[in-house]
Amino acid sequence: MLAIPTLVGVTILTFALLHIAPGGPALALAGDRATPAQLQHITHQLGLDRPWPQQYGAWLWELSHGNLGFSYSRQATVVSLIEERLPQTTLLMGSALLISVLLAVPLGVWQAYRRNSTLDRIASVVVFLAWSMPTFWFGTILIAIFAVQLRWLPVGGLQTIDTAGFDWPSRIAHLILPTTTLAIVSLAGWSRYIRGSMAEQLGEDYARTARAKGLGMRAVLFHHVLRNALIPFITLLGATVPALFGGAVITEQIFAYPGMGQLFWQSAVDRDYATLLGMTVITGVLVVLGNLLADILYAVVDPRVRYD
Amino acid sequence: MIDASLTPAVEEAALPRRRGRRFGGVATASLLWLVFVALTCALGPFAIHANPNATDVAAAFAPPSARHWLGTDDLGRDELLRVLVGGRVTIAVGAVAATVAMIIGSVYGAFCGYYGGWIDALLMRAVDVFMSVPTLFLLLFLAAMFHGNIVTLMLVIGVTSWLGPARLVRGDILSLKERPYVEAARSMGATDARIIFRHLVPNAFGTIATTTTFMVAGAMLAETALSYLGIGVRAPTPSWGNLLSGAQSYIFARAYWLILPPGLAILLTVTALNFVGDAVRERSNDAVGST
Repeated sequence: MLAIPTLVGVTILTFALLHIAPGGPALALAGDRATPAQLQHITHQLGLDRPWPQQYGAWLWELSHGNLGFSYSRQATVVSLIEERLPQTTLLMGSALLISVLLAVPLGVWQAYRRNSTLDRIASVVVFLAWSMPTFWFGTILIAIFAVQLRWLPVGGLQTIDTAGFDWPSRIAHLILPTTTLAIVSLAGWSRYIRGSMAEQLGEDYARTARAKGLGMRAVLFHHVLRNALIPFITLLGATVPALFGGAVITEQIFAYPGMGQLFWQSAVDRDYATLLGMTVITGVLVVLGNLLADILYAVVDPRVRYD
Repeated sequence: MIDASLTPAVEEAALPRRRGRRFGGVATASLLWLVFVALTCALGPFAIHANPNATDVAAAFAPPSARHWLGTDDLGRDELLRVLVGGRVTIAVGAVAATVAMIIGSVYGAFCGYYGGWIDALLMRAVDVFMSVPTLFLLLFLAAMFHGNIVTLMLVIGVTSWLGPARLVRGDILSLKERPYVEAARSMGATDARIIFRHLVPNAFGTIATTTTFMVAGAMLAETALSYLGIGVRAPTPSWGNLLSGAQSYIFARAYWLILPPGLAILLTVTALNFVGDAVRERSNDAVGST
């Protein structure tokens, strides 16, 4: 299982990041305005006067007990901050993931089928443009058109402020623009990938045999070729998760959406290292677990794959 | 092994070449655009002959006119001049950061690929670890820790984007090191370092050159993202990213001349770099296929 050394690596990386912070880890965790007593408390709690391996062990011990530290600038535990934000970001990333798969797969299939036609060439240029688009600029343009000019959708936020409790129509309306913004980047890469792997599979013997048997192009494309083209795509999905978290930082910033990304950005500005480190560890763990899930799914879908 | 690689090569030989021609027009246009951007950003500011940071609040938010071709910003500064000077900054950050990333990535990848075994396994696992943490998280983290001048920004972007190049160069070196000329060099007593840097890395140049193009594009996007978030290039120095950091307030002021030009400059330049990189990759695939 390669996931376990990677998990350990993520914790070592985070631990190392803490130690390269200017002023040392205690100051980094407590913040610039920490009192000497607070510094003393943290130094003692984390055993920062002990040798590095022991410190790492102590830190890992706290981590395994769900203690990610305390954010002095927000006066809350890092765990409670993440618990509050993670569902919002999961909702945003999940819908973006869903929309880009639903759009990228048909687009890629269609482009592979119509390969080298004028429409395929135009679609390729559009996909390249979308791929090269700065996320924040695309989001800004969307706000300018749909929120300011047409007034169809809200500018940002989680839901309309004066509504009490959980309001589904308002939540969905507030999700449309951020989801579109976040979806655009992965959409471009994925449709291009599907197009390539569909084109490759279409050249395989089995695809030609299916055609020769008299099966329609639609049946060959969707029942035979797409299934095989989608298998490596599962791994790609897993590998895109870190980029989605990165995209969420910018998307949540544009739309004032209170999720993990916005928290990370604010913590970076405030130099709240405890929160930054806690979120880095949690995200790293989620990404490793996501990749593990993708690998398992890969083996389930493709019986030829066996892991030792 | 040999059979498997020969059979499809015959069928697909015609395919990439047609593709190469197909993208020819777009790739040429992209190259021309890049030359145009480089020249106007380098020379344009001399022609306008003004201080890009000189404010004139009385003339703030002026729409495009004969005096200010792209209008003025919130402090009355000439937008065209700031886009041109910002282009210099963004392109410089992109180029230097990409070079840093490529140097680290190539050396790391070549080392892993050449020695193989447990060293390779261990070092590539470290790459997996870095890849598990979102790059933008690392960027924000380091930018917050070492916030300072443009040089720091270049280094921060460089040291967070070498993972892709390292993987690609490693893959190339893995196959290149089995070539007869490596054995020949070794039989003549060449050291490992000489084999890696005089024989293997130059032969991986195709991969390195293509990847560099994509890296410059990526580093420019990273600069714009960080500057938009307020942790990149600092005011008053303009960059394509921080010219857009106030974009949202410009929407409500209906000052679209402040949103579209810097945004389109980033979009078109990054797209052009990606197209050129793609075209070079297609051509080098052709060359490999025909030999």
